[in-house]
Amino acid sequence: MRFLRSALAAPGAAAVAPFAVLLLLFALVALLAPWIAPLDPARQSLLARLRPPGTTMGAATFWLGTDELGRDLLSRILHGARASLAVALLSVAVSGTLGTLLGVVAGYRRGWVEVAIMRAVDVMLSIPAILLAIITVAVLGPGFLNLVLVLGFTRWPRYTRVAYAQTLGQAGLPYVTAARLAGARAPRLLLRHVLPNIAAPLVVVATLEFGLMILFEAGLSFLGLGIQPPMASWGSIMSTGRNYVGTAWWIATFPGICLFLLVLSVNICGDHLRDRFDPRAALR
Amino acid sequence: MHRNGIFAGALAVALATAGVAFAQQKDVLSVDLPGQPATLDPHIQWDTDSYHVYRNIFDNLVTRDASGKIVPQVASAWTYRSPTEIEFTIRSDIRFHDGTPLTPEDVVFSVRRITDPAFRSPQLSQFDSIREARVVGPDKVLLVTARPYPVLLAQLVKLSIVPKAHVERVGPEKFNLEPMGSGPYRFASWQRGVRVTLEANDAYWRGKPSIRGVTFQNVADEATRIANLKSGRADVTRAISPDQAQALKSEARLKLLPAATERIGYLFVNAQWGPTADVRVRRAIAHALDRKLIVDALYGGFGTPVDVVLTPANFGYATGIPSYPFDPAKARALIKEAGAEGAEIPFTTSPAYDQRLVQALQQMLQEVGLKVAIRMTDHPTFLKRRQGNPDEAGSISTGLWSCGCQDADGVINPLFRTGSAWAKYSNPRFDALIDAARATIDEKERLAHYADALRILHEDVPGVGMFQYHAIYAARRELQWQPTAGESFHVFDMKWQN
Amino acid sequence: MTRYLLGRAAQSVLAVFGVMAIVFVVMRLSGDPTLLLVPEGATREQVDALRAQLGFDRPIPVQFADYLWTLCRLDLGESVVQRLPVWRIVAERIPYTGWLASTALAISVGIGIPVGVATAVWRGTLVERALMPLVLVGQSMPTFWSGILLIMLFGVGLGWLPTSGADEWRSVVMPAIALGGLSMATFARITRTSVMEELGKDYVRAIRAKGVARPVVVLRHVLRNGAIPIVTIAALEIANLLAGAVIVETVFAWPGMGQLAVQSIQARDFMVVQAIVLLVSIAYVLLNFVADILYGAIDPRIRLRGGPR
Repeated sequence: MRFLRSALAAPGAAAVAPFAVLLLLFALVALLAPWIAPLDPARQSLLARLRPPGTTMGAATFWLGTDELGRDLLSRILHGARASLAVALLSVAVSGTLGTLLGVVAGYRRGWVEVAIMRAVDVMLSIPAILLAIITVAVLGPGFLNLVLVLGFTRWPRYTRVAYAQTLGQAGLPYVTAARLAGARAPRLLLRHVLPNIAAPLVVVATLEFGLMILFEAGLSFLGLGIQPPMASWGSIMSTGRNYVGTAWWIATFPGICLFLLVLSVNICGDHLRDRFDPRAALR
Repeated sequence: MHRNGIFAGALAVALATAGVAFAQQKDVLSVDLPGQPATLDPHIQWDTDSYHVYRNIFDNLVTRDASGKIVPQVASAWTYRSPTEIEFTIRSDIRFHDGTPLTPEDVVFSVRRITDPAFRSPQLSQFDSIREARVVGPDKVLLVTARPYPVLLAQLVKLSIVPKAHVERVGPEKFNLEPMGSGPYRFASWQRGVRVTLEANDAYWRGKPSIRGVTFQNVADEATRIANLKSGRADVTRAISPDQAQALKSEARLKLLPAATERIGYLFVNAQWGPTADVRVRRAIAHALDRKLIVDALYGGFGTPVDVVLTPANFGYATGIPSYPFDPAKARALIKEAGAEGAEIPFTTSPAYDQRLVQALQQMLQEVGLKVAIRMTDHPTFLKRRQGNPDEAGSISTGLWSCGCQDADGVINPLFRTGSAWAKYSNPRFDALIDAARATIDEKERLAHYADALRILHEDVPGVGMFQYHAIYAARRELQWQPTAGESFHVFDMKWQN
Repeated sequence: MTRYLLGRAAQSVLAVFGVMAIVFVVMRLSGDPTLLLVPEGATREQVDALRAQLGFDRPIPVQFADYLWTLCRLDLGESVVQRLPVWRIVAERIPYTGWLASTALAISVGIGIPVGVATAVWRGTLVERALMPLVLVGQSMPTFWSGILLIMLFGVGLGWLPTSGADEWRSVVMPAIALGGLSMATFARITRTSVMEELGKDYVRAIRAKGVARPVVVLRHVLRNGAIPIVTIAALEIANLLAGAVIVETVFAWPGMGQLAVQSIQARDFMVVQAIVLLVSIAYVLLNFVADILYGAIDPRIRLRGGPR
């Protein structure tokens, strides 16, 4: 709550506001997609393939045109918002939770636990993310759940580093010593006292990671390793649409614009948060 | 005149001169291939892009003409001494690019090389029926097979003749980096991952090649290949998808070169596991497919619907076999009868297959009451599952099968014979028929056996033939060339129209 | 300090070993290349025979031990697809990846840092409002999309630049722009933050009070003092460029290591994949090491405690 209020009160909040609204709009669309989409996003019509925006066939109007199987692009984009946002949100949740937990434990416990965790961080950061993703998908197979797992388990080191450094900083402070003397046990101490104090930079990391995860999903779908049809995500629609840029330009363009706007909004809001709370996080 | 790949890389960086696009010089043909050749040694890979390149450097023992008939190349004639022995007469006027003559010893060497298990040739499986190869005269070679093998000549269409003395002298690695053959083009340079350059061999025994040089570039992305054609960087390319082909029809400077190939687009149906183990469900699936719509709407007419799991380009293809017409009502009735409404049908696939077709088929099958779940994995995993146990292979999957032999023996044997890794089906009568067709070299007998075998396949439906695949090439309007059913790329047969 | 360095070196070696082991096992779990090498019609027996010939039927620990042994002999193995020594295959690609990555880095540094300085110095003015969107665009666009758009516009439409390949010096322009977009944004933001922080410090006010002109202040003092974080990030960005090159190389048919990596993974050409992972992880570890040393130089607290970890 405190966090939200200070974010809103910051200078420059007025410039950021439209993008925050845009973000909320995307979230709403994602939630309500099944109800607001005009047509079934999976319904193919082989005779209505690759039609331009505004085509009407029978009772249906394809406001943004149809794709390579005659499916309504607008409905697919609306549903695609769900997949793109869900992948990003879930993977950030998984990696953020795991990473923060490990970082806090490493920073608080020290000793061999610290060494083990931070060495694991080194190993993970030594593999180029995209190669690791490709190799892992080769074993697990593509698909929504596996994609979340892959992204979740490759990004946690970023949170760990920040959480670790922050916890180190906090551990020496008087309130921690006081709480310990008062008899607080480690989990309670970490959760109720340390965590809120280190939350701000972690939220900043999470926000930027969110934008990155959206781009990652698009990139993996481009390589054929992401969301599988007939389920739609903006990245997978763009991946097939890429082959039609010269002829059916709408297939890649509209999801591309949405993707760009979404990532842009996330980055602007994330920047604002970062500027407000932790200008030096930029240096890590 | 070869450049080591490593130095070529540095050279490319250093040379700032090139501004002239290759395509401007009509002397040199610029070809964009979707993949890079794995190797240029003809015996150590099974890969279309490698074949497209090295086939111009080497001559094969026999070849096919434009109509698909097997005709002489290195061998000028052949006779069957017995059902298991063929004697080839080798031409005496062929020279390798270093001037040495091509002799029967080179032919025998090539056969032995490719059939030697220690050599680890992936193509071994196509030639392992050959038990012995030996020189039997100043210009004669005898090949002996373990059993009568009627498809031997078709397989020999793919056997390239390599120079024995040269290969033994330079060793396999150097021969792979700088191949030398007797073909119409000699190897000039290979910047791996980038381009292979060939030059015309003016001493070629069939005559001087009209196109003076060829470069093959590796351009994986179809959109980029098309952009290259439009901008003039490339003169000809392959693997154009039907949708892009439609768009290219309106380009004035380019033309499409479609070719009906021996590749069969079929739907595998698992007869040993899952809801499709019931033959009624399989027949329902056959009734649910609208082949004409698939060919017309999805493939823009680039394809020929077929009713059997063979194309007209394969020996053994028969018309007049009963088929399952498109009839969704009948399909629904059959599924109801089998109690399979709402049954879950896993559809295994990989990025190697046209996903538009996969999704279109999914919808067609869902419309008759089946619940189709697409299971996408990458290609190696797909192959492992598809060739694994019946419960791993999924209920259905698409395939684009070609044996490179234009013969039914290379198609329905591996796909449906008991014991084959690909077959999730077993019918002893079918096995007996195709074994008999393989055991005789009498063509009429073989055709009769295959017709019967196809009838059995029609009844049991372990697979549904959908269409004959048309390969689509695109080229500059001035290039005169007609691609063949065998999907070969003979630059010698191409020329520039004036 | 020496003990710290030695310790980090040992940890780096362990990290690389860990990476190699993970990649080795994961790849072997996903199958082997035999099925991909043979024609469709090969029988099970023929496939199994080839598999045994290639050595893929042995248990994974045995294969791993064998691989470590070849590494000890400084041999990277042979590619099962191209039947050539791996070092030769990889060595040919390194100049191309290097060319692309260094050009992309030059673009992102050459545009990013001046933009960052400008938006920091002229904060709140039109300059910032015009340039920040450029930075944000670079950060928000997927590389494959910008790649195809660039090809369509400059390659096909205008015909200024080659649509693919790596023949001439002009070929690197579009791929480098597509690849450098994200890095450019990062550099711009880091520079901006760093310069803003420096500008707020007392010494700057002191120098300005002495009457030194603004540009001089910026160039001579602020940038020098603010350079360390920028260089730190540069080390990490180089690593990111190597990773991002995978997609760009695919779109532009650029014959670099990224394209080789994707093709080799898809073909299960283990030796090539392992060699690439080995090289890249060594590069990553070295770059991380450099970044950590520089980071330690900024923040003495970390150095005194014995390192950031």
